[in-house]
Amino acid sequence: MAYTFNTEVKNFLSGRIWLRAHTPFPAETIDAYIASGDIQIIPGIKSEKTTWSQMKHICNRCQNDEPSRFTTFDCAKCEGPCTYCRKCLKMGRVSTCTELIIWAGEQTVYPTIHSFAWNGILTTHQQKASEELMRSTELQRSHLIYAVCGAGKTEILFQPIYQLLTEGKRVCIAAPRVDVILELEPRLREAFPSTLIEALYGGAKPGIGPAQLILATTHQLYRFQEAFDVVFVDEADAFPYTADETLEHAVKKAVKKSAPIHFVTATPSKQLIAGRKRNASISTIQRRYHGHPLPVPRYETLWHYTRHIKKGSLPKKLLTWTAQRLQKQEPFLIFFHNIALMELAEPLFQKLDAGVKAIHAAHPERKEIVRSLRNKQLPGLLTTTILERGITIPNVQVAVIGAEQKIFDKGALIQIGGRVGRSSDHPDGDFVLFHHGITYAMDDAKTEIIRLNEGGVSW
Amino acid sequence: MVKECLLCEQTLDATPSWQSLLGLDQQAFICGDCSNSFKRADIDIKEEGTTIDRTTSLYKYNAAMKEFLHQFKFLQDVALAEVFADDLRRVLKKDAIIVPIPMHPAKKVARTFAQVEALLKSANVPYMDVLEKTDMVSMGEKTKAERLAMPSLFKVKTNVTIKPTTYIVVDDIYTTGTTLRHAATALKEAGATRVEAVTLIRA
Ligand SMILES: [Zn+2]
Ligand SMILES: [Zn+2]
Ligand SMILES: [Zn+2]
Repeated sequence: MAYTFNTEVKNFLSGRIWLRAHTPFPAETIDAYIASGDIQIIPGIKSEKTTWSQMKHICNRCQNDEPSRFTTFDCAKCEGPCTYCRKCLKMGRVSTCTELIIWAGEQTVYPTIHSFAWNGILTTHQQKASEELMRSTELQRSHLIYAVCGAGKTEILFQPIYQLLTEGKRVCIAAPRVDVILELEPRLREAFPSTLIEALYGGAKPGIGPAQLILATTHQLYRFQEAFDVVFVDEADAFPYTADETLEHAVKKAVKKSAPIHFVTATPSKQLIAGRKRNASISTIQRRYHGHPLPVPRYETLWHYTRHIKKGSLPKKLLTWTAQRLQKQEPFLIFFHNIALMELAEPLFQKLDAGVKAIHAAHPERKEIVRSLRNKQLPGLLTTTILERGITIPNVQVAVIGAEQKIFDKGALIQIGGRVGRSSDHPDGDFVLFHHGITYAMDDAKTEIIRLNEGGVSW
Repeated sequence: MVKECLLCEQTLDATPSWQSLLGLDQQAFICGDCSNSFKRADIDIKEEGTTIDRTTSLYKYNAAMKEFLHQFKFLQDVALAEVFADDLRRVLKKDAIIVPIPMHPAKKVARTFAQVEALLKSANVPYMDVLEKTDMVSMGEKTKAERLAMPSLFKVKTNVTIKPTTYIVVDDIYTTGTTLRHAATALKEAGATRVEAVTLIRA
């Protein structure tokens, strides 16, 4: 052979499905491995004629087979009708004439010696859940950790993850939103200081080392194929993956055959519960780790808030609430249902304190701004629902403007309330729903929180 | 089939309106929110007798439009050609010969499609591909002085005859106007009596 074996290529491509034209390696290197059979080429899109002689397409990267999510066009490259997948477009377009590559050679062997540097103590509930999770992992069955916001879900995963790492297994924690990944990353790096960990999300460049523990947004999972021995899906129900089916599709492709997929969430869907109930692989924790109850939302009317804000003034109740937070120096989050209204309100809040900022999913400095709030460099934030999960800010007070809006469903409201009172120094806090009329979702969320606090089982 | 906004992927309202029942409404490809994020420029400059007799630009180059162009050209999302199809069809409904600003063949193969042609195809506007590029240097790499001093960017294809009539050159974006002026000059030198320019965006 005219090439020397390059472990970097093997380590990078192991378990991945990648665009041939976009690897971190020179084209000649990739060509050589294709010639040697270590790399296999897969067409981007698989197309078949159905019985009705229509074309049925499947994306070989993201497994999308939804006809509305494909576009066929006259391709100047392959000089014919070419079909591309719009579902995974943002990761680099995959079309009929795109070549995907997978590693077909000798597989990467991961280390079995790791250090576990977490020295916290689990509560009895956490300990029990952790053991049940380990048992399910051994039996290779899917497990659900159904724990209220603030129950300390991540710590429950530590022991099972450590166990897997020492067996040389490759592990993935997947979350629908980048915020959750960013919150998890430093905690896992601290707990497993000698493990090669990689966090993957839109905009993050993948490293080429043999990462054994991968944190990834569910989108990034599209780029893996039969890679993991176990996947933990955090905040399994979160937007945009409310449809568990889509999520399970991506995860299923990323795990090895018969490898277990575990779910961790505070607001599981009925399907998620039903799927795990059959073999009793559910652990429930209804107490926060500090033992204090979840904050119950209180309702405040805020009639015609949109009109007020559009006219350039904050409704009196909202003004008072914000002024109180500022005066007591309590950090706050104010949730809006839409960006336009939030941006109209931003200067009105800035009249109270110039430091108040508004952020949304596409905000370029979103990570830095959230960090500033946590570090008390900002008094409070206006936000869309992007911040509802995975964010811990000690003593944070929370208000929802327009809690009656459709986007604030039961799950979203429970998650938003879950931001309050997470630390044991400040186990309490205000959770106020400003509204223009009470909805079923608001009542359902409130009922569920009260029921969880009373220790009732909710399915 | 559930239809989603081509840009933000939210489900488009499926309830039929009276317009749709009468077949009067235009087919929706994007949602109201996304549609509102684009700002009309409605530029219409008439300079009869100069190189370009009339220049029309439809939209401003705001953040939403920047994002749109990125997804369309860089992420190669050809489907987005549909978004402004109706707008383009309306301004191009004229008794004139439509000519897209051409792309270098190698670049077209790399991108897999020529964006202006894709826009025209979606708009269902018949066009004639009569121009070709003379070199491959991209406009963005030149200084203003260099751009002005440059020899002709386009020439009329060898086997094509230009008629003494009105031509409309179409481009996606108007930045300095150099590209369009070069195209217009080539057409006029070959015998076109009038040349108009239409661009989707005005930078
Ligand atoms: Zn795809
Ligand atoms: Zn093609
Ligand atoms: Zn949209």
